Parts: sequence; C-alpha cells; structure tokens
Amino acid sequence: MAKLRTINQMARVEGHGRIRLEQQAGRVVGARIELYESMRLFEALVVGRRYDEIADIVCRICSICSTVHKVAALQAVERALNLSVSQQTELLRQLAVQGGQIESHALHLFCLALPDYLGCGGFPELAQRAPAELKRGLEIKALGNRIQELVGGRAIHPFNLLLGGLGSIPTADSLTLLADQLQELLPAALATIELAATLEESLPALPPLPGCAATDGPSLFGERLATTDGQQITACEAYAWLDERLVDYSHAKVSRFSEHGPYLAGPLARLNLHAPLEPSAQAALHRYAPRLLGAPLTACHLARAIELLQAIERAMVLCSQLLQNGLQPEQAGSVQPRAGSGTTLIEAPRGLLLHQYCFNADGRCTAAQVVTPTAINQGAMAAMLTALVEKLPDAAPDAFKLQAERLIRCFDPCISCAVH
Amino acid sequence: MNRPRLAIVGLTACSGCQLSLLNCEAELPLLLGQVQFELFPLACSPVLMAEEYDAALVEGCCTTAHEAELLRELRSRSRLLIALGTCAVWGGVATLCNDTPRQLLREQVYGPQPPSDDGLPQPLSAYVTVDACLTGCPPEKHELLALLADLLRGNLPPGGVSPVCSDCRMRENLCLLQERDQLCLGPLTLGGCGARCPSMGVACEGCRGPAPEANLAEAMTVYQQKGFDEQTVTARLHRFCPEWRHG
Repeated sequence: MAKLRTINQMARVEGHGRIRLEQQAGRVVGARIELYESMRLFEALVVGRRYDEIADIVCRICSICSTVHKVAALQAVERALNLSVSQQTELLRQLAVQGGQIESHALHLFCLALPDYLGCGGFPELAQRAPAELKRGLEIKALGNRIQELVGGRAIHPFNLLLGGLGSIPTADSLTLLADQLQELLPAALATIELAATLEESLPALPPLPGCAATDGPSLFGERLATTDGQQITACEAYAWLDERLVDYSHAKVSRFSEHGPYLAGPLARLNLHAPLEPSAQAALHRYAPRLLGAPLTACHLARAIELLQAIERAMVLCSQLLQNGLQPEQAGSVQPRAGSGTTLIEAPRGLLLHQYCFNADGRCTAAQVVTPTAINQGAMAAMLTALVEKLPDAAPDAFKLQAERLIRCFDPCISCAVH
Repeated sequence: MNRPRLAIVGLTACSGCQLSLLNCEAELPLLLGQVQFELFPLACSPVLMAEEYDAALVEGCCTTAHEAELLRELRSRSRLLIALGTCAVWGGVATLCNDTPRQLLREQVYGPQPPSDDGLPQPLSAYVTVDACLTGCPPEKHELLALLADLLRGNLPPGGVSPVCSDCRMRENLCLLQERDQLCLGPLTLGGCGARCPSMGVACEGCRGPAPEANLAEAMTVYQQKGFDEQTVTARLHRFCPEWRHG
C-alpha cells in the first residue's frame, strides 16, 4: 500500500518552489529558495508570431497576474508599432489593473498569508477559526474579479483588452453599480488594515531592504524605474540595467541590478517610493508611517492592506472619471506593421514588471523579454534567508524551514511568473 | 455521506484552473462541507501525498520527469483522475512550439548553456489514463462546480459535444466570421463557455480545444473565402492544441 509522503514543495504560494537547507551537525548553516517550476519558455514561444497574437499568448504566463501581463504586453506592442489608444481605453485598462491588484492582494492576505498568523494550514481551517475574516476577504477578492470581468471579459486571461482598444465598452450602468459596490467595501478595506496591523509576527527582526518600482505614472503605471537609494533608469534602459543571469538552482533568471541591490519589489517598495495614493490610503500610510517607511520585509502585509484600500479608492476614481467623460463606443484603429521595439514598465501586484518586444517589418516578433517581480525578488529572498540563518542559529531544521517558508510567503511569490 | 477527498495539483501551467476554483468566492465556504481539499499546495499546507484520493484534479501539461512521476503517483493513488483545463486536456499554450527542437527554444531564453531538465510538454493522457476532462483556458466556474457536484453524486461530467457557434446562436450574437470577416474559431471549438468572447465582440481564439465533430476541412474553406490563408488559421488553431485530433 502506498504510504503518506511529503512532497518538497512550498505551500500557499503560486507555482513550484522549495527551500533547500544546508546543514552541519544538525544545525542550519544556509538556506536557499529554488524555483524549480518547469521552464515555460514564453519568450521563445512568441518569436515569429504576429503582433496581434503576443498579448493573448503571454497573458497565459500567470493566472493571478494575467490582467497586468496583458496590459503590459499590449502597451509594449503598441509602442513598438507606434499605435496610440484613446484616453477611455487607458482609463479602462487602469481600472482592470486595479481589479487585478484587489483580487491578488485579497487572495494573498486572506487565503495564503493569514493562515500563518492564525496557526492553520489554509482556507478550510480559516473557515472554522476566522469565518468573518475569511468571508470579508472573499468579498473583497470577488469584487476585484468583478472589475476584471467587467472590463476584461473574464477574471483570468481577459480577452476583451485588445490591441488599440477594447472589444466591448462597459455600460454606464455597470460602472455606476461597480462604483457603489466599491464604496460599500471601504469599511472592509479599512478593517483589513487594522487586521494586518495587529498580526503577531513570529519572524525575527530582519534588516530592511532597498526597494525598486516603476514610477512617474498614474497608480501602478510608470515610465521610469526608481530605487529607494536613488537610482533612476528609463524604461528602455531598464532591461539592460536589471541584468538578468542564469543560475544553476532556479529556472528563473536572477537580476544583478548592474552591481547594485538586491532590491525588494512589491507593496512595501512602492509605498517607500511614494507611489501616488488616494486620500484614505494616504491617511492610512501617514498613520502607520513609522512601521512602513524604511521598514523590514515583515511590514509587507500592512503595506499590502493599505494598497488594497488604495486600489479600491483608485478604482472608484477611475469609474467616476469614465462616467464623467461619458462612455463612447470606439473602434480599435487599424494597425500598420513596422519594424520597431517597445518596452513597458508597470507594477504587478508583486512588484515591477517589464515587457519588451521587437518586431520586423512584417509585424512578426523577433525578440521578447519579460522580467517579473518574483524573478527580481530572488536576490532579496536570498539576502533575507541568509539573515534568517544568522538570526536563528539554534533552530532545528524542521522549525527553521517553517519560518523560512513564512518569510518567503511575505514576498507573495508568483513562481509561474518568475520562470515564465 | 463521506466527503470526497480531493487532490488539486498543478503541473506546467499558470495555476488558472486552480485559481478558478478559488474564484468561486461565494461557493467556497459551502464547498468545505461537501468535499475535502486534502492536497492543494496552492492554497493549503502541508503538502502531503495521502494514501488515496477519491479524485485528483490535475491542471497543466506534463513537461518534466518530476512532473511525470508525480502524475503517475497521483494516478495510482486516486480513484478518478480528471484533467483540469486546456493544458491538461490538450497541451495548451506550453505546446505552442512542440515542432521546434526544445534545445533551440531553451537557448533562445537562457543563452548558449540552458538548463535541460525538461522534455516535450504533453497533455496528461500521454502519460496516464484520464477519467474525465474539463476544458477551457481557464475552465468556466460553473463547469468546475458542476464537476464537483457530479463527483458528489458519483458521476462523471458528460463532456460537451457542441461548438462555441451553438452557444453564440443561443445568445443571438452577430456572427463575427460571416458578418464581420474576423478569424473566429467558434465553428471548431468546443462550446460550453456561453460564447464568452464573441458575446463581447471578440473572436473565439479556440481556448477550449476542438469540438468532437469539428469539420476542419469545411471551416478552412470558409476561412479561405474570408481571406485567411491556411497558415494563419493553422497557427491560430495550434495556440491551444498542437494536434487537432477530431472527427
């Protein structure tokens, strides 16, 4: 009879990763995160494909982040083809991206991270121990999906976001209803910040990390890569600056940051880089500033909760702007293929995301580069694991591993994205 | 009644089929009284392989030796094994370049000395017997819930027969192929999605794989009349299914 067997795979993270410990005489002397997700090869799969197929294919890199991958790819392809979109399309894309942010942050806070703080294994036990919190989290998560469905046509792999425009424009009634639903969720978002602020952290104090994020755009959009230690890199220089290299323990390439870093990407980095915030989120940041600014990784849940409020508020603002402008039917403009390249920097829920594509005169893709936040965060993960080894010199291997997994979950890794 | 013990596992994929289950936000708490999520690494710890499962729902295609071993082990421990989503059923986007030597693709991404611990991505049926399929990239939530309801009743999902075109007719949509000259794969693609994309004016990209009685030859004639050459149509068809096994 087959026996119960442990599979060496991290739980409550997207994708396939494991923590490998180095031990001497029963003590942990080193730890490493290995992203052993099978090679997806998306950057090769799109080569030779026509410009209008790229975004539909690459959004399949990841389900949780599919909307932001789709928007990043569309923008990069449009830049390469010198194709502009209407303000209405831009606002609707921003709305869809905020929807993805809401869904992803709620999923992580309530389903993936919260069990660590309530001593349980996942949502089935949470439903017993903290049913009200789980219900609230799922309601917020559902509304994030509702936004992605309304604008993108589907919560996962949104098909309604097209090159140059959209398939269907949402109706004014549906946006009015959405704005009302967002308004109703504000108390739940505020309560989530309180919840995140009161989580009892069992991880030891860790050194803070410098952060990186896309800046100079509307919320979650950016034109430049900035770091908390003063680096400023333009979008077209960003890929070279990130300087990704192959390592032998991960199928995700690791950024060298041109001899800087390693940098943290994600909610905490964004708040430390003064990402634009709506009034309530700004007030929450102000209130908790000492616990967030220059803070170590363990402040990430509080940062994520504040970003959840920000995304809800920002989505309301976008709904109201769209309604104020009046929703117009529009046709995506015709595309003239041409040789060129385009790069987009954007903020995915887990941090900085870069898409870059080159096309020949026939509009066929000749090269593609995608750099994802979890790949960027590998250096920070390694630094934090090293710090954890130093902080827990006497931990038994099993106990250490639990803490190490908890630490890695603070990054909310998305390993399908990292390997892509 | 005993709650069925489920294993929900992902191989080479985007986790979207598993996320579709977690996206059943309203139903999720209710499901907990009906089924047991015994192995579900995406959402639950610890990651322990139990002695047996009533059903294993497996997302993704199988690419590495490690995945093949895991898949075979799940098969041997599970009464039913269900292919969850287009990658598991047909291969999906990972199989997009299966006719290009794998090493070339690896070099394109990783440089001259790429890792090589993978093989050709293939649907689950290339490795194990699959008891039922739920297609879609991603599958529809209502289909996923219906699958769980079927398991509770001791049934398997019946599997669809009609193409996306039938769903479109039911919704009285404008035909994007006939009336808008768009490359819509609705005539060839398995329905059940409610013609989600054409209903919003977006051509079907074939994400659910071939309908059982898809008439590719006849459809190709129509596509060519509309000005799409065979190469373009074939490239689009292969986005989710490398081999059009139909008829």
